[in-house]
Amino acid sequence: MTKITISNRNNSAFEVTGKKPLLNELRDQGVDLPYGCQYGGCITCAAKLINGEVDQRSQVALNNRQINDGYIILCVAKAKTDCIIEIGVESHDKLYRNPFLDPLEPHELKADIASKKKEKNKDEPQ
Amino acid sequence: MDGCCGPGYASPAEAIKAPKEKLLYTIAIYTGTGIQKPDYLATVDVDPQSPTYSKVIHRLEMPGIGDELHHMGWNACSSCHGDSKMSRKYLLVPGVRSNNIYVVDTASDPRAPKIHKVVDGSEIKKKTNLSGPHTVHCLGSEIIISFLGDARGEAPGGYLHLNKDFEIVGRWENSMGDIPFSYDFWYQPRHNVMVSSEWAAPNTFMPGFDLEEVGHLKYGRRLHVWDFKKKEPVQTMYLGEDGLIPLEVKFMHNPDSSHGFCGAALSANVIHFWKSKDGKWEWEKIIDVENEPHPDWPIPVPGVMSAILVSMNDKYLYINNWLHGDMRQYDISDPHKPKLTGQVWMGGLLGKAPEVNGVKIAGGPQMYQLSLDGKRMYVTTSLFSTWDNQFYPEIRKQGGAMIMIDCDVENGGMKINKDFIVDFGKEPNGPSRCHESRYPGGDCTSDIWL
Repeated sequence: MTKITISNRNNSAFEVTGKKPLLNELRDQGVDLPYGCQYGGCITCAAKLINGEVDQRSQVALNNRQINDGYIILCVAKAKTDCIIEIGVESHDKLYRNPFLDPLEPHELKADIASKKKEKNKDEPQ
Repeated sequence: MDGCCGPGYASPAEAIKAPKEKLLYTIAIYTGTGIQKPDYLATVDVDPQSPTYSKVIHRLEMPGIGDELHHMGWNACSSCHGDSKMSRKYLLVPGVRSNNIYVVDTASDPRAPKIHKVVDGSEIKKKTNLSGPHTVHCLGSEIIISFLGDARGEAPGGYLHLNKDFEIVGRWENSMGDIPFSYDFWYQPRHNVMVSSEWAAPNTFMPGFDLEEVGHLKYGRRLHVWDFKKKEPVQTMYLGEDGLIPLEVKFMHNPDSSHGFCGAALSANVIHFWKSKDGKWEWEKIIDVENEPHPDWPIPVPGVMSAILVSMNDKYLYINNWLHGDMRQYDISDPHKPKLTGQVWMGGLLGKAPEVNGVKIAGGPQMYQLSLDGKRMYVTTSLFSTWDNQFYPEIRKQGGAMIMIDCDVENGGMKINKDFIVDFGKEPNGPSRCHESRYPGGDCTSDIWL
């Protein structure tokens, strides 16, 4: 079991197995969370990982800048360690950006089209 | 409804003579807004004689959260006019993110519609490998719905075929050919043709808009001509830079006409297409909205023409520029040479109309529906939750709005109606965002004649 602390819900803490996506594990324990597609493609359930590690290899919604800013997709992310997360739209300060005013660098695109400037790319296909 | 016939009207000319709309339905979303409530179908009172005129008078909540209701369509339209067993009773309302399709009974009590059936999103994935539903059209008594992705959200998706009892028949199309993306479609049976357009894969557009992905060919730039009976694509019109992100497709209502239009959202162009004498489909750019300078932007702002609409008499074409904030009316009596005849402003990034009828507008003109007589246009301001959040972050607190435009069908011209506004920022559960609208008696984007 690992411990998930939600920093913007009075640091409330929940024990999770790490075997199911955090969305399911936390909702099962009564945490009210937004979600949409439930397969990692639509960003509605995005949360910010402040500390800890998750496995979210199957997400396809985030670009590399969002990943570097700590965003995780709760409907597919499984906890690998104890984590501190921030949930809901309060955590979305850096998630949305005006694409005309704040363009992405080639290495900040989604994994399948990003250039290889940054080595730490967990989401490289195959 | 007279006893002799099925739903809709014998011809576009008959539809224009239909009674004035008294109610309209619009979807309103909480998905992506931070409010943990289901999206809903709002009934808006549009009868000026009613004490609740210009107000939401009923809210039909969906069973769960996170659907992102978006577009919708009727179970039957004028294409069933000859079939007295059919009636325009059910509105099909898909959830883009959840994949569920809600079949809503609007006939038993038009003011308070109720859910008749849910076509479960996971069942659709399992049986047809489709996700990301968008446009709903009926074809006689059958229904087809375009989907933008496969079950994993990858392009090109395809078409779901439902029977009149809303059971999954399977995939409608026999082949997607080499179509890379799906979005909107419209068909014109007398020419045995369907034309479809291209947005992007759900996994590309649902999380938001990365401009760079256009250059990486993750967004569309083609129109596809289908052999409607064979259910397969037969010709591609490559629009290139003139047609970046071609979204809404509309044919003329006159069933003999082969002329149609598409709004290319990012290029902010209208593409006109038609069948030439030798039977080949041709296209040309007929409207080009220039990008506009913005005091705080290093680059000019594109219009983002996310919708188009043709009036029932085929005389006027309406377009929006979601980022600029204007709606325009063009006389298309000569579809090769449209003439600008009207323009109004609401919201937008250029600061031309930050307030309408006392309501601060977040967003810009985005979806619109026109009365059958062509005189009243209802416009809403939200595009898609994630895209709203990028371009108009203040919409979270302000919500969407519905505005009415009086359209002059004699001499051309548009004017914002001073007596009508629905502020979705004041909804009981908090600010929601309204999108596509439909009238119980049919509207200018629902009916097709065989």
